[in-house]
Amino acid sequence: MKRTILSLMIATVSMMAFAQKKTSTSATIAFDASTSIDDLPKAENKTAIAAIDPAKNTVQFEAAIKSFTFSNPKIQEHFNQKSWLNSDEFPKATFNGVITNPSAVNFNKDGTYNVAVEGDLTIKDKTQKVKTQATIVVAGKTLRTNASFNIKLADFGVEGQPITAGKVSAEPKISVSAELN
Amino acid sequence: MFKNPKNKKVLKWSLTAAGAVLLIGAAVYFYYATLTHEDTASLKADYTVEAISFIKEFEKDYKTANTKYAEKIIAVKGIVTETEQPVDTTMNIKMTNTTTGSYIIFAFQNEDMVKAKKLKQGDKVKIKGSFGDGIYSEIKEAYFINFQRSTVEK
Repeated sequence: MKRTILSLMIATVSMMAFAQKKTSTSATIAFDASTSIDDLPKAENKTAIAAIDPAKNTVQFEAAIKSFTFSNPKIQEHFNQKSWLNSDEFPKATFNGVITNPSAVNFNKDGTYNVAVEGDLTIKDKTQKVKTQATIVVAGKTLRTNASFNIKLADFGVEGQPITAGKVSAEPKISVSAELN
Repeated sequence: MFKNPKNKKVLKWSLTAAGAVLLIGAAVYFYYATLTHEDTASLKADYTVEAISFIKEFEKDYKTANTKYAEKIIAVKGIVTETEQPVDTTMNIKMTNTTTGSYIIFAFQNEDMVKAKKLKQGDKVKIKGSFGDGIYSEIKEAYFINFQRSTVEK
């Protein structure tokens, strides 16, 4: 009897621990707008904030636009300027979504799970729906996740000569990865 | 083709000018395409600040603080509250105002990452980096202040 109560208590505590929101302040978001004629327009942001709430099945990301680092400083300058991401006025990109097939993941059991995520991506104050597949790895109290999808820059009011000239992809790939505790 | 020597001269000059323009264009393109960020370690800090008072500037008025520090190289003295290395290619160091949860986060690259990996929680350090910006996080309900291309000074 004592053993049963103890087992129940341990199970409850571990479930409570996993019911808490998991976060990371060192998530990576990679932006790849390179084309066959220009390999330079790609960047990484390694200080993005991520959160997964197992109780609510929500997924969130926040990234400071100025933290996207390009190898070429001139391209980084263009990326932040008013006609592109206008990071002075719109300093942050956000994603607020949900896992649409929550039965596909068991946050209380170690394993690798493929889930579907759908949500709102906001860049430059313009919000678009995004649907993507993501992988969630449950390892003890840690979650690791990654996903990638393409966006249309025009949907977020980002247009310009380098895109029409084929030097910057009109539909860059966004890759997201995070370890959440 | 050109019987008039004057026309020959014009063609010669036109070709020379076109060649020169092409060369200059190629040189300018090459210059911009191969630009890299300056090594932070070799740059003089525009400001040297204490971590907690620096964070408080953003908590008080982040817009004014962002304008003041925009594109500056800043040396921050403080205590390491967290080291974060989710993957081998990432090394971030945090200095946090434990009262409010707001934090400074330093991202490191290449050889600077090696030195940063030796730091641990509680270490008193001076880190110099390129200021990105300080903004409010809805997720953390606190300000996060970003630095790139950071280097550990001591």
